[in-house]
Amino acid sequence: MAVQAPRRGFRLWSLAGHFVILIGLIGLLELLTRFDIVDGLLFPRPSAIFESFVRIYFIQGNVWHHLWVTMSQVLAGFFFGSVLGTALAVAAGVNETLRRYLKPYVVILDATPRIAIGPLIIAWFGFGFEAKLVIVTLVCFFPPFVNTLTGMLTTDEDRLQMMRSLGASKGQILWKVMLPAMVPTVMAGVRLAMAAALGGALVAEFVSANEGMGVLMNRYTYTLNMPSAFASLFTLTIVGFALYRTMEIVEAKLVFWRNDAEMQNASRRRARAWAAR
Amino acid sequence: MVAAWKAGEATSKNIDLTTRAAVIKGDGVTKTFAGTVVALEDASFSIAKSAFVSLVGPSGCGKSTLLRLVAGLLPLSKGTLSVHNKPVNRPRRDVGMMFQKATLLDWRTAVENVLLPTEIAGGVTTADRKRAIDLLHLVGLKDFEFSFPTQLSGGMQQRVALARLLQTGADVLLLDEPFGALDEFTRERLNLELLRIVGDIGATTLFVTHNIGEAIFLADQVMVMTPRPGRLARIVKVPFERPREISLMQSVEFNRLVAEVREILGSHL
Repeated sequence: MAVQAPRRGFRLWSLAGHFVILIGLIGLLELLTRFDIVDGLLFPRPSAIFESFVRIYFIQGNVWHHLWVTMSQVLAGFFFGSVLGTALAVAAGVNETLRRYLKPYVVILDATPRIAIGPLIIAWFGFGFEAKLVIVTLVCFFPPFVNTLTGMLTTDEDRLQMMRSLGASKGQILWKVMLPAMVPTVMAGVRLAMAAALGGALVAEFVSANEGMGVLMNRYTYTLNMPSAFASLFTLTIVGFALYRTMEIVEAKLVFWRNDAEMQNASRRRARAWAAR
Repeated sequence: MVAAWKAGEATSKNIDLTTRAAVIKGDGVTKTFAGTVVALEDASFSIAKSAFVSLVGPSGCGKSTLLRLVAGLLPLSKGTLSVHNKPVNRPRRDVGMMFQKATLLDWRTAVENVLLPTEIAGGVTTADRKRAIDLLHLVGLKDFEFSFPTQLSGGMQQRVALARLLQTGADVLLLDEPFGALDEFTRERLNLELLRIVGDIGATTLFVTHNIGEAIFLADQVMVMTPRPGRLARIVKVPFERPREISLMQSVEFNRLVAEVREILGSHL
């Protein structure tokens, strides 16, 4: 069954509750650090973190460049990895020979921990942007590939029988049934890729880089500038959440038939398009 | 709407099966799986135009196999089978099938699902679109043309499946327990509507069921089948006039027929 949204009133109260608790926790932390009950090196004062936020974003403005570097790695790597993974999986799904010969290599590569491959890729591609891109692409390749291939190979027998009884050709079955039916599975793979992309980019930066959010965090931690380190960390949290939320919205739109609100919109749109013919 | 369907032949309420041409002919039809499992053995039958024939029997009697053979979804192992005097070897446009599961495409609206056969056959015209909407009204789904399958109940989904079947324009309908997954009340109602629609368009219908009462109530003839190996034991004629009321199932003659069929099925039940 499709997803239902909770009632408006309930949501507002719930939100207010969360807000109050959050403010309470921050306030408590502020007190604890001010009176040195919690060591400022382990967890800095919230007010100090806030100050760092303002500084790195607006006064010094140095975070923007590093954020840009990391994000371009994430988005480019995600795009290439997902597209490559999905396309190769569709091809392997359609062509049995390709699937047979591709499988062992994919399995071996998937089994190897990406972090271990990192330094090797740096050795091949050098310290520049290309190396990071390759690592992120690699990380983002497997979830879409595995999911899409599984989707291609496990098709609903009832649907196949129904299409055959209507005299559909193999091509028609592929385009009208298999590919649309696979969208939810592919999206799941793509979401996993996005989740892995940010982590992958940071790992690449930790291994060796001179710019990017991972580098920035390292620098702040080494110099014991904890407020700024935390400010960078929270930046990454916000970025991670924004990416996650974006994927959620895209999925709701693409897999509209599992979402009540989207279905109603789609119904209305199609009714209008029909009347316009 | 219905007028467009009649093939220029008057349909009579009292059906005389012997004077009309046979639409589905089977002679010694046999189907064996993996060389050893005999799903259907030596079935011979002749089904006249506009006849409604039930196939009834317990699991393993070959009724679904026979249906799939007529549909062209399975190849024959032995014997001959023809529809409209043309041998059956693959799915054809003049033969339509409906399954126990509606199997609608979740990302298409009801009317888009109904148009699926037309899309597969080649371009969709304005006439086709109008017909799809009319068919949805015919099966009682006015105001649901643009709903998606997951927004519809099981009974409504099967109505869409029925409309999709009618869209093909097939005049031979093969139904494999189409309402078996629904509750009794919905099943009864849909059975009556099916009879009405099928009677109006004069389609030749094969209806598979494991319920003896349902088989007799709906049909002009009942093909009684026994399992191990699947065989056509007897064809029982159903003499009741149309249109039929549910109350018929309480009558003495009706229950005598039920007993007769049970006896044929005898030790196999």
